[in-house]
Amino acid sequence: MSLRRAGLALLRQQGAPLVESLSATTQQAQGAVREAVEGCSRGVSTLAVKQRMKSVGNIQKITKAMKMVAASKMRSATAATENSRGIVQPFLRMLGDMPDTQGAKAVFVPVTSDKGLCGGINSTVCKYTRATVKAVRDGAAAADSGEAAPEMMLVVMGEKGRAQLQRDMRDNIYGTVADTNKVKITFPEASAIAEELLKTEYDTARILYNRFVSAINQKPTIATVLSPDALERAAAEGGAMDSYELEGPDRPEMLMDLAEFQLAATLYNSMMENNCSEQSSRMSAMENSTKNAGEMLGKLTLTYNRTRQASITTELIEIISGATALAG
Amino acid sequence: MTLQVCIMPPDRIFWNDQADEIILPTNTGQMGVLTNHAPLITALDIGVTLIRSNSNWNPVALMGGFALVKQNQVTILVNEAESAQTIGVDEAEIAFQEAKTKLEQSQGEKQRVEATFVFKRARARYQVVKQLGV
Repeated sequence: MSLRRAGLALLRQQGAPLVESLSATTQQAQGAVREAVEGCSRGVSTLAVKQRMKSVGNIQKITKAMKMVAASKMRSATAATENSRGIVQPFLRMLGDMPDTQGAKAVFVPVTSDKGLCGGINSTVCKYTRATVKAVRDGAAAADSGEAAPEMMLVVMGEKGRAQLQRDMRDNIYGTVADTNKVKITFPEASAIAEELLKTEYDTARILYNRFVSAINQKPTIATVLSPDALERAAAEGGAMDSYELEGPDRPEMLMDLAEFQLAATLYNSMMENNCSEQSSRMSAMENSTKNAGEMLGKLTLTYNRTRQASITTELIEIISGATALAG
Repeated sequence: MTLQVCIMPPDRIFWNDQADEIILPTNTGQMGVLTNHAPLITALDIGVTLIRSNSNWNPVALMGGFALVKQNQVTILVNEAESAQTIGVDEAEIAFQEAKTKLEQSQGEKQRVEATFVFKRARARYQVVKQLGV
């Protein structure tokens, strides 16, 4: 800076007559220096890069923090999720899994998250929901050509699913359940949601969620729960249920209770699994984000340094050439 | 030959152990299950189940659910389960008396149903501690 000021002062000292006798190079140099002083144009390119670096650095810090938060949440959710599987296994063992059951009314429950920045799990669930609805519709059309098409209803869990599905399936959406993760997911909460689901009087309920396989693997899964009537029908056709004696006088009522309990247990398990999947997916998405931000920051730093060095070199050249021209 | 008893509330595995006999509080009364029982599904009311190992009886309070018996494997799925270790004696007794008076004083269908529910839970917990104490 001081070199430039000295050079400029020297130029001013010489006065106007000397300016006319200067060679073209020095005239150029004089003009450039004046321009630099007036417009500070050489500093602008480094300023832009510096601002960009600052914002990318902030993004990197934020995504790193989000990753750590998601990792800790996932750790605590994993144990609870594994425990919640215990209550679903006996039902699967006893009643079996009949995903291709037909009925007059089919309810689909896609389980998604409320918050974003969690990778692709919500899109996956929505994609599977659309495919399953289509498959059930086609399957019903193929099976009974005489009966009317089954009524398809969607009960979406989570804001993200609602936003994605209401674009093309708005008519089918019966309702949305949001903010389930604000407090800890508990079985009474799942029971309350199951209660609402039962009011739709479905024949088959298909819950679509992401099963938590490991921290880097989340599998989209469909859990099928039958209504008491459908269960009775399936049991009558022979199956694991037949081998059991049913204690108590009220067999239909007990079957109804059993089906309700199965729905609540399956819903609870799917909510827990999806929550765990959400945290692990967010963790890996934020990890990628942090890594990308770091790379971008590296590239920007190189650009910044290059720009800075180039501007210094240019200034020096101008001053030196100006001074040399004056001297000789 | 012993029974493998597994008590599971939704959020964890509460009990997974061998037993000789188990008495279940079903909707229609107490029911005993020994080894080689026929396959069975039954609904459970809110009450106390007694699990016997040799000659030790262990009481566990169950808050309603189902019991599945098959091939000497007893699977109990309940909303909630509590054993004597987690129930305080005095607290259970006080809760029981309170619930009893509330039930006697309740008026109207809704109040009575709710009071019955609370009473059954308090009674189950009280019975668990009383059994162990006596």
